Amino acid sequence: MAQQKRSKRFEVLENRAVHKDGFIGEWIDVGLIAMGSPNDPKPSIKVQNGKVVEMDGKTRANFDMIEQFVADYSIDTSVAEEAMSKSCLELARMLVDINVPRDEVRRLFGALTPAKLAGVMAEMNIVEIMMAMQKMRCRQTPANQAHVTSAKDHPVLLAADAAEAALRGFVEIETTVGVVRYAPFNALALLIGGQVGRPGTLSQDALEEAFELQIGMRGLTAYAETVSVYGTESVFVDGDDTPWSKSFLASAYASRGLKMRFTSGTGSEVQMGAAEGRSMLYLEARCVMVTKGAGVQGLQNGSISCIGVPGAVPSGIRAIAAENLITMALDLEVASGNDQTFSHSDLRRVARTIPQFFPGTDLIFSGYSATPNYDNMFAGSNWDIEDVDDYLALQRDFRVDGGLKPVSEDEVIAARNKAARAMQAIFEEFGFPPITDEEVELATYANGSKDVGTRNVPEDLKAAERLMKEGVTGIDVAKALAKRGFRDIAAALVMMMKQRVSGDYLQTSAWIASDGTVYSAVNDPNTYQGPGTGYQMSEERWNEIKAIPWAVNPEDI
Amino acid sequence: MAQMNEQLVAEVVRQVLQNMNGKAAPAPKGGKLTAADYPLASKRPEILKSPKGTPFNELTLEAVENGKATFEDFRITPEALEMQAQIAESAGRRQIAQNLRRAAELTKVPDERILEIYNLLRPHRSTKEELEGIAEELETKFGAKVCAAFVRESAEVYARRKLLRGDLPSSD
Repeated sequence: MAQQKRSKRFEVLENRAVHKDGFIGEWIDVGLIAMGSPNDPKPSIKVQNGKVVEMDGKTRANFDMIEQFVADYSIDTSVAEEAMSKSCLELARMLVDINVPRDEVRRLFGALTPAKLAGVMAEMNIVEIMMAMQKMRCRQTPANQAHVTSAKDHPVLLAADAAEAALRGFVEIETTVGVVRYAPFNALALLIGGQVGRPGTLSQDALEEAFELQIGMRGLTAYAETVSVYGTESVFVDGDDTPWSKSFLASAYASRGLKMRFTSGTGSEVQMGAAEGRSMLYLEARCVMVTKGAGVQGLQNGSISCIGVPGAVPSGIRAIAAENLITMALDLEVASGNDQTFSHSDLRRVARTIPQFFPGTDLIFSGYSATPNYDNMFAGSNWDIEDVDDYLALQRDFRVDGGLKPVSEDEVIAARNKAARAMQAIFEEFGFPPITDEEVELATYANGSKDVGTRNVPEDLKAAERLMKEGVTGIDVAKALAKRGFRDIAAALVMMMKQRVSGDYLQTSAWIASDGTVYSAVNDPNTYQGPGTGYQMSEERWNEIKAIPWAVNPEDI
Repeated sequence: MAQMNEQLVAEVVRQVLQNMNGKAAPAPKGGKLTAADYPLASKRPEILKSPKGTPFNELTLEAVENGKATFEDFRITPEALEMQAQIAESAGRRQIAQNLRRAAELTKVPDERILEIYNLLRPHRSTKEELEGIAEELETKFGAKVCAAFVRESAEVYARRKLLRGDLPSSD
């Protein structure tokens, strides 16, 4: 057969970036469906003597561990029958109706079952989901989180990048490792760099659960996030946990005065091959309810590391926005994803972020890569440092507060240099492998790890091990910094350590201002009820967003 | 249209003021803390102290330098966790209050033991008797009654769902 004659138009289209992305049709039996699987249970509830005896068509004796946990800990049984008697459509309309206050929606949604929550979302289009997000997120003022990682786990570069990220406005910074044994140094670099960039910056080190808790207890990190929950029993168990072990872990964090949130996301169960034929969003609703029942203040979701799965099926990106909304409607802080490379297409990358960026969430990204894509050890983020001026332009174009601010080259260089010098001083004080003046200089002016040398890794790792063995704490670091003349950073570290005495930042959706004041859903609750209400950008903040350094000012012409 | 918006704004302002006044009122039930006391660090620092009894406002860099405040001071007390639990409750967050009360009990459990118990609560790690032993330890050694009941409950669930040590994964 002769070669079919090709359309030049189609040949051009096939070479576009979007054709490198994976797209797949729905496959209901294995759960490869974003929302509304015919296999999802029908919503139902029966309460007897304050106890749920039937939920989503299953009787109590047949509950799996997740169902028992959410029935007993998450659902407000005193409201359940009232809330469940409303139709999905009615509840969906309450989410977007500006005349129904957030508190009333919260009261009813706290009593819904997983199938009902998924059913409500199925009634909403993407714009309605965004309208509801604007009203339902817990904290009024939106904020942002960054990833700060290095392909070389270079401690000086990490400190410099952490300082720059904090200076740019990220209220939280998260690291992880290339080489696991570097973890204590990565935590140290973010702790110091974060406080250099802006006192109050919260830092975390995403690692195995028990290790995360250990370094948190020491004061080398300020909070934790990578505490995963799953929507089916078998995947939960494969993840080596249960709702009870995870709840105990949550209480353990709080017992040390440490903030934490759970992590989940659509697609994880089908990726692990045990979705039981349910839709991704139904299973995610169960995860959000486990988080709520555990008494954890917040959740990182929005598919997260499984974005390739919902990203490939119809309505998948809508489902991701819906899972963020479920989290908000259940009154939890949401760190709303946008944190993993999912598309080759710049257009799709931007569009994927719109549902969180325009309405605003507690943390729009979880996180935005504050390093080049090649240095991102979370397998890349949806936005990287190379995109940051685009991000600033979008904030300005749409008058949206995305949590970041324009910065000058001089102030970035100064912050990076100070963080690098502080690390140099700490390494010398603790007798770790020396940081040379040249390394400080390279990290100050670097874009990424290709611009800095390679450290003596075996020696660094030995020292990192020593840091753990000798039990170095956040207070030891503060003392050493003060001794070496970095009094302002030392004072900021003490201020951060004090947070775990007051416990103020354990409340829902907390971030810490430069003077140590905690802002959360308790003292900055979302009061949105239509135009002219809710978060109103201050004149000062708008002037900041407007002032991108590369704009031409008419008066200068 | 403009008039409607004004009415709406006025209504919202009224509601906010009402909420604020309501919150600012003295707590009715036995002097419990409310959202109006939050954040404690700036609004009620006088009621906070470290586990060693150091007043909150004396936890400074200077105190760290001269040895008056040590790492052991920078830990939350069960009292502070109870205060935060009351604040969470007043803000309508029942589950968070429960978690903070479990946490208050766990302040007495040493770091190492907490990590061990967490690992023993993971699936297929412990027998029912071992979990009951942990509950007993939490209750008698640390006075952690709520946590003990929570662990006992996990033992029941793990037995029913075949998640104890030696159980084969459940087939359904």
